[in-house]
Amino acid sequence: MDILLSPQLLAAALITGVLYALISLGLNLIYGTMRLLNVAHGDLVMIGAYIAFIVFSLFNVGPLISMVGAAIICGGLGWLAYKSIFQNLLSNSEILARLEENSLLLFFGISVVVQNLVILFFTADRQGYEYLSAIVEIGDVRLTGARLAVLIVGSLISIAAVLYLRFSLFGLAMNALIQNRDASAVVGINVDRVQMFSLIIGFGITGLAGALISVLEPITPVMGFPYTMSAFVVIILGGLGNLWGGFLAGLLLGFLEIFGVAVTGPEWRSVLVYGIFIGILIFRPQGLLGRGRVAR
Amino acid sequence: MSNNLRLIGIAAVIIIFAGLSGTASEYMLGIGFTLFMYIALAQSWVILSGMTGYISLGHVVFFGSGAYVFVLLWGLVPVWFGVVLSGLVVGIGALIIGYPVLRVRGPYFVILSFGLAELVKNLVLINEARMYMSLRPVFGAPPLADLYIAMLVLAVVATGLTFWIRRSRFGAGLRSIREDEGAAETIGVPVARLKLAAFALSGIIPAMVGAIFIMRSGIFQPGDAFNPIVSFTIVTMAIIGGSDDAPGPLLGVAFLVILQELLWANWPEVYMIILGVLLIGFVLFAPSGIFGWLSAKSSRSEKNAA
Repeated sequence: MDILLSPQLLAAALITGVLYALISLGLNLIYGTMRLLNVAHGDLVMIGAYIAFIVFSLFNVGPLISMVGAAIICGGLGWLAYKSIFQNLLSNSEILARLEENSLLLFFGISVVVQNLVILFFTADRQGYEYLSAIVEIGDVRLTGARLAVLIVGSLISIAAVLYLRFSLFGLAMNALIQNRDASAVVGINVDRVQMFSLIIGFGITGLAGALISVLEPITPVMGFPYTMSAFVVIILGGLGNLWGGFLAGLLLGFLEIFGVAVTGPEWRSVLVYGIFIGILIFRPQGLLGRGRVAR
Repeated sequence: MSNNLRLIGIAAVIIIFAGLSGTASEYMLGIGFTLFMYIALAQSWVILSGMTGYISLGHVVFFGSGAYVFVLLWGLVPVWFGVVLSGLVVGIGALIIGYPVLRVRGPYFVILSFGLAELVKNLVLINEARMYMSLRPVFGAPPLADLYIAMLVLAVVATGLTFWIRRSRFGAGLRSIREDEGAAETIGVPVARLKLAAFALSGIIPAMVGAIFIMRSGIFQPGDAFNPIVSFTIVTMAIIGGSDDAPGPLLGVAFLVILQELLWANWPEVYMIILGVLLIGFVLFAPSGIFGWLSAKSSRSEKNAA
């Protein structure tokens, strides 16, 4: 059992957990404020990763800078999606009645289109690049510079984002929408604006995470899908719409996954993630931290 | 058109399709096989998802499990008995897992159905790896003409079943779940039992389809048998055609199988992009599908004529 106590494993779990927390934050915002089930969420990770890869190949600029560009471009896609589809959708009462199912099918269609467009332009081959690959030692832990950078930057940004959404005026408006859409409109919150910025911020943060992930794993058109699943596990684990809950659940899933695989073996990874997921859905759909009313 | 005439017409079409098995080329039989396969799958999907509104994004789990049970039975029992047995085993399995799974409603069910399919796929992958079987060949399967007829039978049975359920008391109960499950339960519809029955029914035929499909492909690989693209294709076909009644999926399937035939071999990405765009377009602009749109149009013109 020594392996379970090794700081090396702890570091790996932290990195995975922080990335899950960051990615699921965007998904949680979008679901919380608009009840949209974004099953194309992982594709934003993929787009962010491709942006970082392209910027690095063309200009030799690393992901720690290009992640800003990835966030801006993905945020722009969020704006585009809101203006072209969801602004009308959210005011159409016929579709609104079955919004969650319909949004899921829509995002699924979007995901299929995006993935295949990327295959057409960049082929389905794995891409990758070398960045900060020198080993850094901290105590007993040996990490590549890139992984250390991802850990630090990812933690800072996810904590900053959660704090901003908790304490800023705009974050409060967002929280109000998450709790009760109709009542927030009554007290004078500009619902339309908050929804638009939720999509922009949600997409942007995820694109940024994608740029960070581009240094950790091969970049492929279908790399986003496991992140979609993990993000859904995380937000259900933390309670839908609960941002702090999602942050903690992201870290928890990272630990469960890394330590679970260390005990059983890599082929059990998917079984673990899906098993936790199905167990939570069936036995505790209000989430680990959730209490009272079940949102289903 | 009177009902008798319509029945005779349908019987004639089925007999013509059956007769083709002796004369048509291998290529045409292959297309017919795919067409019937997706008809059977899409109709089965409609029994659960179209009627109750419990949208399943993981219907391939039945297809793949049926195929897996069938290859495990291969050589142990007579071929066609094996096909039926796979359907029954998967149906019983659906009854057992259906109970906890169907308590989960709405969007959670959609995600759950997908997760379940992936979970089963990974369990089968691990089991196969443990038995040192990354792929299992199926030798000595019946000729394509026989498989074509078997698939035709499944397509007819699935379409008939959907047609009958849509007009039965059972179907009315299922559709009341879709409109408002809470209200249906309050007025005494046995929702839990109905959902479970629909879940099992919509699993049996895909399982048999999976078994027959494996004989056609000649090889069982978990990654192919549980390919999520199959689930997505089924959903898109049913939504494009219209998922509330039996004729809808027929239209959607015919349309997409032709498209697939034209594009899949050379431009698979273009095919998938068109699939995605169609799905988005239909959800946004024609949520009741081609059939729903046509029948709304014809009832409007009848009203105008009267």
